[in-house]
Amino acid sequence: MSVSTSRKITPILRAELDKLVTLPLIWLTLMGTFILNLVLAAAFTSIGLQGAAGTQSILNIGLASMGYLQAGFIILGIIATCSEYTGGQIRTTLTAIPWRGLQLSAKHLALAIITLPAAFIIAASGVLYTFIMMRDTAVVAEINTMIKTLAGAAGYLTLTTLLSAAIGALIRRTTPALVVLLGYYFTVSPLTRDSLPKYFPDTAGYYMYMPPSSNEINALTPMQGTGILILWTLILIIIAIVFYCKRDA
Amino acid sequence: MLTINNLVKHRGTVEILSGISFKARPGRVTGFLGPNGAGKSSTLRILLGLDRATSGSALINGKPFAELHNPLTTIGAALDGFGAHRMRTGRAHLRWIAHAAGLSRSRVEEVLEIVGLTNAADKRVGNYSLGMGRRLGIAAALLGDPKILVLDEPVNGLDPEGIRWIRTFLRERAESGNTVLLSSHLMGELAETVDDVVIIKHGRIVADGTLEEVIGTHSTLEEAFFALTSESAGGVV
Amino acid sequence: MRAFKAELSKLFSLPGIWLAFLIGAFAPAVIAALDSIAEKEEIIAGVSTRLSEIGYIGLGLGVQGVIILGVLAVSSEYLTESSESGGGRQITTSLTVVSSRLRFLLAKAGAVTVISLLLCMVAILTTVSATHLILGEYTPAFEASRLIGAVCYWTLTALLAFGITVLTKNSMIPLTVLLINSSLVSFSVLLSKVTKLAFYLPDRAGLELFMFTNDRFHPPFTGGLILFGWVVVFFIAAAIVFHRRDVAS
Repeated sequence: MSVSTSRKITPILRAELDKLVTLPLIWLTLMGTFILNLVLAAAFTSIGLQGAAGTQSILNIGLASMGYLQAGFIILGIIATCSEYTGGQIRTTLTAIPWRGLQLSAKHLALAIITLPAAFIIAASGVLYTFIMMRDTAVVAEINTMIKTLAGAAGYLTLTTLLSAAIGALIRRTTPALVVLLGYYFTVSPLTRDSLPKYFPDTAGYYMYMPPSSNEINALTPMQGTGILILWTLILIIIAIVFYCKRDA
Repeated sequence: MLTINNLVKHRGTVEILSGISFKARPGRVTGFLGPNGAGKSSTLRILLGLDRATSGSALINGKPFAELHNPLTTIGAALDGFGAHRMRTGRAHLRWIAHAAGLSRSRVEEVLEIVGLTNAADKRVGNYSLGMGRRLGIAAALLGDPKILVLDEPVNGLDPEGIRWIRTFLRERAESGNTVLLSSHLMGELAETVDDVVIIKHGRIVADGTLEEVIGTHSTLEEAFFALTSESAGGVV
Repeated sequence: MRAFKAELSKLFSLPGIWLAFLIGAFAPAVIAALDSIAEKEEIIAGVSTRLSEIGYIGLGLGVQGVIILGVLAVSSEYLTESSESGGGRQITTSLTVVSSRLRFLLAKAGAVTVISLLLCMVAILTTVSATHLILGEYTPAFEASRLIGAVCYWTLTALLAFGITVLTKNSMIPLTVLLINSSLVSFSVLLSKVTKLAFYLPDRAGLELFMFTNDRFHPPFTGGLILFGWVVVFFIAAAIVFHRRDVAS
């Protein structure tokens, strides 16, 4: 079984990558997110420039847009899985690739392959813009910290995308999936942030890219944050796969 | 060889299929007939592993669909609808399927040529007409050059030229030893194409045999169909 | 009138509509209750600075319900998300049933307006009772003028969502923009730190109808007028585009 599985996975992954790459919505979303992020970075930089010189860190301001940026990646994840249900494509998919668990895993893998570099570029572009604008006034971080933080940000966005894809696969319809995820990330989570422990996907993931501030008690380390977010993502993907395998297509 | 054996399917409390059995043999075109909502599509969906049967089995060369080694080269299927995302081009749609089965890109061009879509291959599927969508579905079914073809309402939306093409095409496939199963409710069309007929009504098989056997004493297949599926009729022939 | 009834029955039979009703009718009450619990001690001690927001914050966020309603009303005409359906879109049927496109658009807008009005009244009912339940005799008075303002805000926002969706045909963009913008981390709040012009954005202006916060910019009536202006602009644009567009495109 394991030999045949590993032989199967390459063509399936190839097919899933093909599907994502040839879907114009994916590129539109990524481009839209890129532009939106630059606009937001400009807004945050302009707010930052009004503040006192020498007190802000470029990383903090450049990544301040992350909260909004994740919306683009949530959409990306939802499109990746819900697009199967447009025009009855799911039937074609499952007649070509009847191994459902393998197929959905391959889809997540393909999505990660596309998302990771895109997320890195988008996050870095925001920080770069801030760097160019605020070189003289803000504290410039060391290159090491910079890369670590950007890697964390890209990782956070990628995991969020995969998590959204899993939710999309569970719900199967774009609009409800979008409402559920946006509702959680932008309304429920900000409302409950102070009263609940920081073990939720977004609150834990936050520590992947935000430099630890000393005045916060019980903050998580980047590693802990990463671990918790990975756990959430894996659990949701597994739930999605279980449902996917049990349900009629 | 397709073997449907005592297939039962419940959806909620409704029984959609109540124990149907039939076979589609190599070298023959088998027509699967029935009124709307009789259970044709449900049967085909279970055969293709899309839906799960409550009990019974639907086997392809003795194996359930999910256990096939390379499904695309064993069985090609075109179900109702386009089966493709509206925003992808026809060629891109066929390419990802080809990749999934480890087939070459030149095979994609071949099937585009066979179904006559080469000129429309770079158009988005959302802009296709119904007939072009059917051709795309048939192209996808032919990609792996399978020994078994399963087509749901293949002539739906095709122009007269397309209908004639598919008729001769399916006959040729069967005569060279392949298995063809097609569902339809166009009697006149079917009578000219099929060798065997299976008629389903309310989730039960009401007739199963060669074209001549099923027509029996009726004048045409259409007459036989109405005699078998009208509300008063019942029982297995 | 017949077209209007047809639109109402279309809306009520939409599979995603229960989500809009659920969020619209109950989310405000839940949020108001949580907020009241958090503020209870300060209110009893008489030192609360947010007394004027109690309850209304729920109505401010609950508008997301009617945003979903407005978006779904249009996007459902264009969307084909099902494993069975082929290329059919409901819009083709709709426009052969109602010959005049403008009348179709007005009937649909009318249906959205009526449902938003009703939904907001239900929301006010649940929110006021939830606040009373928790704060008891300390509940601040709910003035009729502000409640009417909230009803206007909901209805106009639903129509705004409706107008934007006619332009985009797709539910993703309007849902994302409007849901985030009506949440606690709104783009407009961010932009208002950069430029005063942001106070003229629909959601910021509309909130002035009933949210009497400390950083207010317009009197309620002006705020309402600005929001109304936005709705009119989007509606005219939507009507022109919808009139000229080929259905198939």
